Amino acid sequence: MSNQWFIKGVKKEILTERFPQFPPEKPPLRPSLLKGSTNFKCPVGALNENKWNPEKCIFCDKCSMEMHFTGDQKLFKINRKMNVFKRSLYIYIIDSGTCGACNAELLNIFSPQYDANRYGIFLTNTPRNADVLVLMGVESEGMKSVLEETYESMPEPKCIVKMGTCAISGAGIDSKISFLESDALIFGCPPSPYTILEALIELKGDKP
Amino acid sequence: MDFIIPILFLLASIIGIVSRKFSYIMIILTSIYFIFVCFNFNILSSYFILISSLVWIVVGLYSLSYGNDYGKWLHILISIDVFGMALILLSTNYLWLITGWEIMSISSYLIIGINKMINRPAFVFMVFSEFSTVSIIISAILTFSISGSFAIESPVSPVIYLLVSLGAFLKMGMFPFMIAEWLPIAHGSAPANASGIFSATMTLMGVFLIYKMTLFLRYNVYLQYIGLFFLITGVITLFFGSIYAYISENTKMLAGFSTIENQGAILMAFGLYLISSNLLIKDFILIVIIIYSFAHSLGKTGLFLAIGTSGTEEFATLKQKNGKIYNLGLFLITLSLSGLFPTIGGLATWMLLESFFMQAYLGGYIGAVAIIAGSILAISEGMSSGAMFKIISFFSSKDNGNAHHKRLESVVIFSLGLSLILIFIISTLIVHSPFVGGNPSLFIPNGFSIISKLNSNIFGILTPFYITGLILIITLVVYVSFGNPAGRNVRVWNSGIPINEKYTSFAYSNNIRLMLKRILQKGINESEQEQYLVPDIFWNKMNRFAISLRKYSRSFSRHFMNSSILWYMIYMIISFLAIIVLAINI
Amino acid sequence: MKYYKFNVRDGYYIGETGKFSIYEKGMIRRDEPLERLQIIPKINDKNHFNFQYGPATGGLIEPLDFKIITNGETIKGIIVNPYVKSRTMRCLNKTIDECLLLVERINGYHSASHSIAFLSSVEDALNIDIAEGTYYGRIVILELERIRSHLFVLKRMCEPAGFGVPMYQLSYINEIISRIISDISGHRYFFSTNKLNRVDVDFGLLSSHIQTLIKIKREFENIFNGLLESKIFINRLQENGIIRDDPLIGPAARAAGFKRDARSNISILPYKELNFEPIIFNEGDSFGRFYIRGLEISQSFDLCINGLERAKHNEYNYNNNFSGEGAARLESPSGDLFYYVNIDHGLIKDIQMSSPSYLNLKTFMKSAINTIFTDFHFNFESFGIWVSEVGVEFI
Repeated sequence: MSNQWFIKGVKKEILTERFPQFPPEKPPLRPSLLKGSTNFKCPVGALNENKWNPEKCIFCDKCSMEMHFTGDQKLFKINRKMNVFKRSLYIYIIDSGTCGACNAELLNIFSPQYDANRYGIFLTNTPRNADVLVLMGVESEGMKSVLEETYESMPEPKCIVKMGTCAISGAGIDSKISFLESDALIFGCPPSPYTILEALIELKGDKP
Repeated sequence: MDFIIPILFLLASIIGIVSRKFSYIMIILTSIYFIFVCFNFNILSSYFILISSLVWIVVGLYSLSYGNDYGKWLHILISIDVFGMALILLSTNYLWLITGWEIMSISSYLIIGINKMINRPAFVFMVFSEFSTVSIIISAILTFSISGSFAIESPVSPVIYLLVSLGAFLKMGMFPFMIAEWLPIAHGSAPANASGIFSATMTLMGVFLIYKMTLFLRYNVYLQYIGLFFLITGVITLFFGSIYAYISENTKMLAGFSTIENQGAILMAFGLYLISSNLLIKDFILIVIIIYSFAHSLGKTGLFLAIGTSGTEEFATLKQKNGKIYNLGLFLITLSLSGLFPTIGGLATWMLLESFFMQAYLGGYIGAVAIIAGSILAISEGMSSGAMFKIISFFSSKDNGNAHHKRLESVVIFSLGLSLILIFIISTLIVHSPFVGGNPSLFIPNGFSIISKLNSNIFGILTPFYITGLILIITLVVYVSFGNPAGRNVRVWNSGIPINEKYTSFAYSNNIRLMLKRILQKGINESEQEQYLVPDIFWNKMNRFAISLRKYSRSFSRHFMNSSILWYMIYMIISFLAIIVLAINI
Repeated sequence: MKYYKFNVRDGYYIGETGKFSIYEKGMIRRDEPLERLQIIPKINDKNHFNFQYGPATGGLIEPLDFKIITNGETIKGIIVNPYVKSRTMRCLNKTIDECLLLVERINGYHSASHSIAFLSSVEDALNIDIAEGTYYGRIVILELERIRSHLFVLKRMCEPAGFGVPMYQLSYINEIISRIISDISGHRYFFSTNKLNRVDVDFGLLSSHIQTLIKIKREFENIFNGLLESKIFINRLQENGIIRDDPLIGPAARAAGFKRDARSNISILPYKELNFEPIIFNEGDSFGRFYIRGLEISQSFDLCINGLERAKHNEYNYNNNFSGEGAARLESPSGDLFYYVNIDHGLIKDIQMSSPSYLNLKTFMKSAINTIFTDFHFNFESFGIWVSEVGVEFI
């Protein structure tokens, strides 16, 4: 009886998919890269000057007449690659004011289909062991000092990743997280596990 | 018998009616004189006199500052207490012994009774004290009947030995009487300097008595069983004393149970002495007991004095306002009580464990008993280390400078701690051959090592001077080569918000409390808080026993001593006749 | 206001909004501010100390400031601050569409429940007749969301037990459901899927996925039965966090024996037509809440597949200029979810929401007293609390 789970686990065989070496199997339509004419009054102001600003877009599909979703999951921008973390990257999550979807999506990258652990990406429970601080959600009063305290506790070298439109620009709900400059931005509302996984792999300087 | 010294102590109590300071100074001076003359007596008494006098000097010095808060009664009663103990130490026959014993008991009872005006603890104390006196009286009568004189140094039969030991057990706080004497002290019923005297020297009197009896034991086949009985009693006392000490939330209770635990260890040593048949081990054990008493008395005195200076009895209400010197002194004292080098406590622990090792090495059923007893001894040493760490971590504080009025007390505590190291270094003078040696080829001159032996070969070896020197030199070398370690100051991580909690002493020992939940039943005290004071359950039983004794004696006295002159005359005539009959027969 | 009356204390207690106390069928104005969430032991023992847990800690997904009052191992008291993460939703004087964008982002994991509850209250206010296809469409997506949410809770309960294999197998199934949802609606969390009298979901595509759903249901029941046979795991859950007395809602109430389910006691959605009966259990501990959720997953699969036959995508356009008041209550995966709106000429004049997580948090606090900290996570996760829907203020 005690090893029934071991047997059950082995019976299932390997469930991990070949992403990111191969294209994603089931990418969501929203969020993904948008293409089309930017002639629309976006409720959060993501379309202006003939450009689509992914930092503000909440992927609400109101502009469906003019723009269309391509399904491309490369919705991130790396400002600074941290090659020193190529072998292993420990993540500490701070939720400053999310709706809960970003938290769930970040935890989903450890599901068997994505399996972030094979790239050396792990979660940690304390900032003292963390390499990267992932910030999610809008800025709220209660979490401002916690954020600074957490960043202080992290040892060098460290970097910051802002995930989700709420953290990057406020998503039309509230103000964005105005803490330090981030080394990577992951767009989406919420970004899919494909996006997050690929962004983290590129952040640590690894090849997919 | 040399009467000068007891008379001088009595003088101290009389002076005390007039001046507090001079009374304590008299105690100090008499104790110093006592040390000078002690080596005129036989070697056994001289060691115990040395230990007692050192304790009295320290307590006297400390009381010059501490005794200010108490009334006249304290120093008068303490002087009388010390007078009684001096009588015991110098007595050569039973009559003086019993006198000294009673004086000591009554003055201790008065100190406890007057301090807190609580009758109950003092009363129970008295009841069981009287039992100890009664058993000594009975053994005095038996000795007289056997050898015709009341001299203590006559050959001792097993029955006398047991009776005297019973009397000593009660003073040492052995199981199951540990509650009777020590809980009242532990509940803070005595001021700190008196607690120091009780804990250090009153128990020493018990050890002294058993020691003396042991030296004059005739060989008897029942001695094996008595030894086993001592061993078992000692083991139980030791084990439970160490656990109760670790989980106690009252500082004095912790120190009280630590005393009981150490007395249990000494009793185990006596037990092993009786069981063992190897003469070298027996000799070794006799030395161990002296050194152990040395370490315990000095260390425990220091601990009680330190608790007195801190001004509170509960860990929870401790305010850490003591200075550097106090902290250092307390650190050295707890180091010794934990059984660590380079203090005399470490030497005592090592030697005690060595004797059990040696006996285990010899094999047989005695060896098996020695293994079991030695393991439990080691466990309890560990728990006592935990209890001592609890004290030092919750008592010490950041340097606040010395509070001026407590300077004398802090200095006394520090010098006591320092003396524990110094005595360790010169300990080879206390140990005598064949257990002292050296190894000139390793640059250890003869007379610097303490060696344990069970035959002509060396079993274990320890060099106190070199241990201390090595510790100091290595520390110095590291400090000189690396300097003060450069550290990085980081903020405490407390889940992101500033930290403002304190770790309580209750939580510190809660792991043992929870692990031993079955043995330690929970009790609820008046304010409906959860208490883990199992001793209270024992205490209640003892109390009930004492009360029923009182009721019984009252009804007995009402029945037989009904204040009718006729009955008194009849009693007197009967006792007269009985004595005449006995005298004729003898 | 078909379903609710003002100033009536009718039925069991649901929760609090900004201004009202909500019951099963009535809402009463509340003038005092909300009481602090704390349970302090009556005896002030000097041996108690505070153990700080959160807001930034690895064990909690969302920030909660716990001060646990303990004397070493047992939890004697607890002080919670769920407003560390609080947001203001600018809903007043906005159109229904603009407000909807914010409402679905109150709790992203239960986004469909929130948006459908909000839309139901708007439809109640504007007195709109809902098409049958929309009703069943809403049932389908609500049940899909319920399956995923319950799977998440079960997975989170396996984690502190160190049960890696079932945890990852449940994550696997969770991800499959998320992908099905993203297939049929375009977004993994039903964002921008629900509109007034409309469900923008491709039901034809979902019908082709029925075999997958049946297969997953069987796979899940396999895992669930395996978990029920793992004595060491069930031992951690039984007698842990027992709570049986009012107020209780959601799976916690059904585990304690109360027949409380908004799918059966309010007729906003036609669950009765699908022969729905709430599942009741009689142990109010973490195991009960775990067991109820497992059984409800199987039940939701059946409801989803049965409701699919009558679900239809419906085109609807409405007039912008109506006014009215409406209130609606829905069964989100954690309990009863309530919305009240007051619309003035097409603009939101007042919006009130009562989320189940506030009451669940209070219930959790009561159930945690006299447990030990090692059982904390099992107990906490069994309630399915989402902090994001607690600290929301509408301005």
